[in-house]
Amino acid sequence: MSIVLAVWSLVGALRAARPSGGQLLLAAALELAILVQAAVAVVLVLTGTRPISVATFVGYLLTIVVLLPAGVFWGLADRSRWGNGVLAVTAVTTAVLVLRLEQIWNG
Amino acid sequence: MPATTPPPAGGRRAAARPAPSARPALRSGPGRLLVAVYAVFAVSASARALVQIATDFSAAPLAYLLSALAAAVYVVATVALVRSSERSRRVALVSVTVELVGVLAIGVLSVGDPVAFPDETVWSGFGAGYGYVPLVLPVLGLWWLRSQRPRRSA
Repeated sequence: MSIVLAVWSLVGALRAARPSGGQLLLAAALELAILVQAAVAVVLVLTGTRPISVATFVGYLLTIVVLLPAGVFWGLADRSRWGNGVLAVTAVTTAVLVLRLEQIWNG
Repeated sequence: MPATTPPPAGGRRAAARPAPSARPALRSGPGRLLVAVYAVFAVSASARALVQIATDFSAAPLAYLLSALAAAVYVVATVALVRSSERSRRVALVSVTVELVGVLAIGVLSVGDPVAFPDETVWSGFGAGYGYVPLVLPVLGLWWLRSQRPRRSA
């Protein structure tokens, strides 16, 4: 999902377009998925199933939950192609964070 | 901290400030993207340094202190770019330059003498662990600051 959002935003940035409503919808859905995933992870950690490095994992978890809203807010305030650029960077970062979280979780 | 010129509280637009020229602020346009990337690095470098120092400082004190330094530089650069005043432009210039020197120096040292760097920092191997973004970022930052230099017809 974050890859789709990244590509979408990148295309938008290259076309010098402003972020569209569809992108926002996708970003919202992505954030929802992240929140659900984060809730599951928190429950697992609290019930004893936890990665080796809990501190690192929780740090990444906090970051990924906050990142997308912050990126959307920052990107929308600038209604130009650069807003889309911000969204693209945010989405790529989100994808990287998801991968890192999986790595940390699996040790 | 009592600053000589307090920032406009809650003021979102730099236009509220009587600027010497009508140039766009450092954080608008491409600067907006730059701030976003800097913010990501400020957060990730800080978090990394914090975890490294808190959990296992004795393993590689030098590398971890450098991690903390790198994090501080990113934070300062981010804030300076967001503030976007004439003074913060100079602060940004200094911090981005430090960043460039840092990534080059640590890059050379970590490749040349891996023993001295048993654990990674953001700047190890010229930022290879972060897709070489740490190497490219200061160059873009310097270019941006340069292109946004206020032109005074003095």
